[in-house]
Parts: sequence; C-alpha cells; structure tokens
Amino acid sequence: MVRAHAVRNEAIQIVLILFVLAVMMVPIFWMASAAFKEVVDVFQLKLWFDPTFRNFVEITKPPYLIQEKFLNSTIIAGATVAVAIPLSTLAAYGFSRFRLTGEKVMFVTILATQFLPAVVIVLPFFILFRDLGLLDTRLGLIIIDLALVMPFGIWMIKGFIDGIPLEIEEAALIDGATRLQIIGRVILPLAAPGIITAAIFCFIIAWNEFLFALILTTNKAVTLPVGLALFKAEEGELWHYIAAAGIIIMVPMWVLALLIQKHFVKGLTMGAVK
Amino acid sequence: MSDRWLKYWLVLPAVVVVLATAVWPLVYSAILSLRTWKLSRSNIPGPFIGFENYGWALFEDPNFLNAVWVTSVFTFFTVALTILFALGVAVLLAPGGRLRLTVRTLLILPFAMSPALIGVSWRFMFNPDFGLFQAFFGAIFPPLADVQWLADPNLAMVVVIMADVWGWTPFITLMFIGGLASVSNETIEAAHLDGAGSWSAFLHVVLPQMRLVIGVAVVLKAIFSLKTFDTVYMLTNGGPGTATQTLAHYVYFSGFKYYDMGYASSVAWLMVLPMLVLTWLYTRFVFRRPDAV
Repeated sequence: MVRAHAVRNEAIQIVLILFVLAVMMVPIFWMASAAFKEVVDVFQLKLWFDPTFRNFVEITKPPYLIQEKFLNSTIIAGATVAVAIPLSTLAAYGFSRFRLTGEKVMFVTILATQFLPAVVIVLPFFILFRDLGLLDTRLGLIIIDLALVMPFGIWMIKGFIDGIPLEIEEAALIDGATRLQIIGRVILPLAAPGIITAAIFCFIIAWNEFLFALILTTNKAVTLPVGLALFKAEEGELWHYIAAAGIIIMVPMWVLALLIQKHFVKGLTMGAVK
Repeated sequence: MSDRWLKYWLVLPAVVVVLATAVWPLVYSAILSLRTWKLSRSNIPGPFIGFENYGWALFEDPNFLNAVWVTSVFTFFTVALTILFALGVAVLLAPGGRLRLTVRTLLILPFAMSPALIGVSWRFMFNPDFGLFQAFFGAIFPPLADVQWLADPNLAMVVVIMADVWGWTPFITLMFIGGLASVSNETIEAAHLDGAGSWSAFLHVVLPQMRLVIGVAVVLKAIFSLKTFDTVYMLTNGGPGTATQTLAHYVYFSGFKYYDMGYASSVAWLMVLPMLVLTWLYTRFVFRRPDAV
C-alpha cells in the first residue's frame, strides 16, 4: 500500500514538474523560434517551419545595424566591469580585514544604493550629462552603470575574501611582505574564482540595463535592449527582427549565467540567505 | 604605509564612486523636488517653492494617485504569487534526480534575460492576431478568443503581473531550494513519527524553519516590484490609458515626456520613502548574527 502510494505521488510530481518546465520554456522557445521564421510564418502561428537565418542578416543592415548596438553593449558593460571590479576588490579587502571608523554606515549605504529606483538616479544624471555633453555617449553610460554594479561587486567579493583564512596572510606578514604585496600575491590568486564570478554577475547586470540607456542615449550609444524598440515599420512591429535581436541579447547572458549559476542567488541576496 | 591609514585608502575609491553615482543623485533630486523647473521652458532651475510639488502630487494630481494604486496592486499580486509559486516549485524540485537537477539549472534562464526583453516577449505572446497565449487562452476558454488583452485595462494589468511573476519565480525558487536544504531532516521525521501527514509536516515543521528565507524573499521582491519599469515600459507603456502606469513609469513620464524636473523629482522621492523602510528591514536580515539562521 505504502509503495503504491509513493509511486503515485512521484508520478504526480513529475507531471507537475513537466508543467512547470513548459510554463517556463514555452515563452522563451516561442520568441526564439520566431527569430528563425520567415515573416509569413510568424503571422500564422506555425509550429513547423523551414528555419532561416535571414532575419539575423537583415538586422545588421541599415537602418537597424544591430552590430553597432552589440558593440556598444559590449564596450559599456566591459568598461563598467573593468572599473568596478578592481575598486570593489580593494574595498572588499578593506572591509573584510579591518575595523574602520564608520564601517557600518558605509556598509549600509553601499547595500542600500542597490535598491534605489533607477529612475531616481537617472534624472540628476540626465541634467548633468546635458551640461557636460555626455548625453548619447558610451562614457556617460559607463559612469552611471557603476551606480548599478558597485554594490554587488563589493558585497560578492567581500563574501569570498571573508572565506580565506587569516593565517595565510599572517605567515606572509611575518616574512616581511607589505599589505599591497599580500593583496597582490596571496589574496588575488585565492579570491580569483570569486572575483571572476562577481565580474560576470556585474557584466550581466550592465548588459541587461534598460532605463539608463533609454533616457541617456538616442543614437550613437544605443545598447541592445533599447535597440529592441527600433524594429517598427508602418505596417507595425517587425517581430521576426525583434526575436532575432532578442536571441543576440539573451544567449550570451545565458552562457555567462550558467558559468556562475552556483553563486547567482548569493550575489543578488548579498548573503542575506546562506 | 601602515595599516592604520592604508585600510581607509583601500575603501576610499569605492566609497567615493558610490557616493558620486548613487548618493549624489539622491541629494540633488531632493533639492530639485523643492523647486519649479520645466526643462522645456528654461535651461536653469526656477525658484524654490517649498513642498508645493509634494502637495500637488499628494492632494491634487489624480495621475499620481493612480500610479500609487497601480503600483500597490502590482506589488501585492506579484509578491504574493511569486512567493507562492516559488514555494511550490521549490518543494517539487528539492529532492535530487536527473530531471529535477536539469530543471533547476534551467531556472537561471528567465532570470538572466533582460527585463525589457521579457516585456517584449510577453507583448508578442498576447498579440491579438498571432499571439501564442492569445490563441491558447482562447482555445481553453472561448469567450477570451476575441479579447484584446492589452487593450483592456484590467486584463492588461493581469498580463503585466503574469510577465513579472514569470520572470521572478525561478530566482525566488532557487532561493527557496537553498532554504529547504537547511531544514533539518530529523524534525520532519519526528513529525512523521508523531503521526503528522506530509501537508501538516510542511505547514508546522518546514515552513516555520524557512521563515527567515521567506522574509528575505518577500522584502526583496517587494523592493523590485515597487520600482518596476522595464517590463511595463516594453509591455504596455503604462497603457491602456494609465491602467498599468507604475510609479517608476510616472516619474519617467513627468521627467522625460513633460520635462518637469521639479515635479518628477518630488514623485521620485515619494517613491524612495517606502523603499527606505523596506531597505532598512532588509539590512536587519543581512546584519543579524550569523547563528540566528
């Protein structure tokens, strides 16, 4: 009796899991499949179709030029990470290993800034960049994206450095190494997996960022997510092109996210859950 | 350099960047919120007018009150549904095995998608002519076949909520799977020995042990729901009319459609205030003693 009950129970669970899987994957699959469809197939809700790569070729042509948006997104997210990660690593080491005056105030401030609505941050920056001539530049977006990624960078890397035993550093200190030498030769190699994880996490955040780019760019510095709004014609939205651009936005981030999946949850919750 | 000073130099650059990119805009918009400044008419800020912008928002502006209502409804349903679904899926996926581990890995996919892209995808699904969900819901419940989801104020809200819950449930599920892993097996076995069924054991033994993770998830999801912009902008752009206009969208609208910098700043600040309370709650979770899990 008990066994029959357990078997039935497991069968129900598997059906439910498959249902969850379908709910999760069908929207993604449907959008992705439209990228490989001719426009007539998009309009006919077709499940079977002859795949084509034409949409991907078309969106590289004027006026779409998706490769320029791809380049912008790559440079902006890359530069943001290149600035944020070294600064975050130094700060994370400082917070992890020393007692500082005003430590808790600094902590809470850094943690709290990640919760600020982007729309609140962008307004003053819009005015500032207008005066400085930084509207529609990659530099402008890199600066404001730092507001987005720094809190994550500092908290994630601090978590990893906290896990490195102090004894290793003490041995090096006794051997006469300076702090900076210790950071460079002892901490960096040991914390490297953590630092790389944080860098990938921050890259994904900056890559997917939408609101800053929507408001601060118009033409030259437009990023991929904002570029999604470009595919409009008189007859309406060009869904086959939008879907192709969607693939270009999401697939690279999936690869990156899968690389760091174990740490994904910890990164976003900043150690509030173990 | 001695450690005494070096430690401050280590954190200084990062702290300066955070102050400049996140704290400065907050202070600057607080100042702007006390002035009148229509960017379309003047390049320099106008005079200080005290709390007039706030008074206008709170007591005169029906669009602001609408945005507060929309944001409240959106936040309530997205938090409640995301937490419920995530709990259910986490319980399903918690045991090991190949199928479950594969699905767990796939959970990361929706979360790594740009929220703007999620908004676009869902607009595609509910396209009245060839949307997949349009066809699906029409097939299982024929009265819905000719409904234009995104043109109906209530249904548009339903779609926005669905899209957000779809995007967030996988991530919260991953949080809960972590939480379930830390529930002690002995307590569950003890409950079974005392004659408790699975459901009653879950309710009285597992849930109480997960209250901390659930608390963190509720606060975190509430914060992100309150500031939702990307998905709404791409999915409905606040429409039809102002039926799905969230507070973040209304700040955007006041600031970058009407170029009313003073007013947009005051609405932004009215949005930050409840956020500060939630953030304070969240820091309580983060800074609790580690052994209090």
